[in-house]
Amino acid sequence: MENETVINLDVISLDIRGQICPACLLISLKEINKHKGLLRNGEANLIVRTDHRDATRTIPDAAVAMGYAVSVEKKKGYYEITVGRKDEDQKA
Amino acid sequence: MKTRRHDNHISIPVESEDAERKNAILLQYIKEKVNQLLQIMGTKPLRDEELNDESLIAIDPIGIIAESFEQVLEHLKESNRQLQLARDYLQAVFDTAGVGISIIDRDLRIIKCNEKQKELLVAGVSHIEGKHCYEVYCGIDSPPLICPAIETLEMERPVFLKEVTKKGRVFQIVTSPLRDSAGTITGVIEVSLDMTEKKRAEEAMCQAEKLAAVGQLAAGIAHEINNPLGNILGYAKLLLMDQSITEAQGEKLKVIVEQANKGGQIIKGLLEFSRQKVPVFEKVSLNECVENALRSLGKGNSIRVVKRLGDIPYVMADPRQMEQVFHNILLNAIQALEGSGAIEIESKVIGGSIEVSVRDSGPGIPREHLSRIFEPFFTTKPVGNGTGLGLSICSELVKKHGGSIFVESEIGGGTTFSIIIPIGR
Repeated sequence: MENETVINLDVISLDIRGQICPACLLISLKEINKHKGLLRNGEANLIVRTDHRDATRTIPDAAVAMGYAVSVEKKKGYYEITVGRKDEDQKA
Repeated sequence: MKTRRHDNHISIPVESEDAERKNAILLQYIKEKVNQLLQIMGTKPLRDEELNDESLIAIDPIGIIAESFEQVLEHLKESNRQLQLARDYLQAVFDTAGVGISIIDRDLRIIKCNEKQKELLVAGVSHIEGKHCYEVYCGIDSPPLICPAIETLEMERPVFLKEVTKKGRVFQIVTSPLRDSAGTITGVIEVSLDMTEKKRAEEAMCQAEKLAAVGQLAAGIAHEINNPLGNILGYAKLLLMDQSITEAQGEKLKVIVEQANKGGQIIKGLLEFSRQKVPVFEKVSLNECVENALRSLGKGNSIRVVKRLGDIPYVMADPRQMEQVFHNILLNAIQALEGSGAIEIESKVIGGSIEVSVRDSGPGIPREHLSRIFEPFFTTKPVGNGTGLGLSICSELVKKHGGSIFVESEIGGGTTFSIIIPIGR
């Protein structure tokens, strides 16, 4: 699989463009599980880039159930899903 | 499909056809379970090309989902903890609020109420939840004509009632609609503020202002009448000394003198009542005040006086005013006895105060008079025999000493006046 992970200060990027369900979700979940500590502490945000529309529903649903704050942004030709700590002073 | 349960440890023997068949069954089972898990996570089942065993194991979907579930559970636990905390805070606020709060459903049944509400209206009633609010709070069998809860449900807006009397207490009530997340009104939140004490204080204030006005008026009139009355008395006495009047004229003059003296007494009482004499405090034995008052009333008739004067400490009080209090109360008792019976006087220490009680074996005071006997000009005696000022003077004087005066009476069972004066003053 050609998804790459980059830890850039407090942003963990995950590019899964080209992947479709259910792999999208599984890969994203695996990444969330891997960086659980950082994400829960608010030390990092996970940004998932996907071009699969279904993923903009499944990934946020799962992440919210796990207790994260999620936002989805439409970019040119893909979606950017941000997963981070859920609290008031969370970064936009 | 023929199903076979797999063993706990999985070995993959490739030698026999039987083993391959077994493996296929196991793999199918794993795929089914993975798809079930994926469905729970809200995503699509694995596609056929993803169903070959090697890539399936490489992705490790069961492991990923298991770990994700662990996070879901952690999040649930934390959410529950925070909910419980919020619930506890809310309950504490709910119960310590100085107002009664009730949550009532559309059928006017009480869903929940706080401790204050129970204290105000439902002391001693258990299992309030589920009962109709009008039964529990208003003590009636059907909803009242004016009910803020019903109005809120019908008009779908908050309702404020300035003054409602329930079970002898006065309340201000605010009802607000309770809505669910869809905005539908599911019930009413009713907040009751107890106004009973405030109301009483306002009434007492109003009464005091009225009395002060009456007192001033009375004092003014009394003063004006005193002068002509003095002249009447003086000239009548002069005429009495005149040798030329007949005996019959003398008798008539004596009546004039007597009546003028009586008028003078009434005026003296009025002036005493209205003159706001400031007490001059000194160390006083209340027992001595009682003795002096008894002496001033003199003996005579067949009234037996039983004294049980205890060993009481001195208090700071105005001895003349205290004497007047006991004088008035004893005089009242003597008059109530109408010539026969007994008076018991007792003094003792109660807490930080001294209580002097005067009990007579008279006919007692009717209930409807009891609440009014300390009002000025209230008298049950025939016109001309009393001013109705004696007890109100007592009440005023005792109040000025930081004390209080109580009366207990029963028809046919006698009357007891209790005067309580704090020792600490």
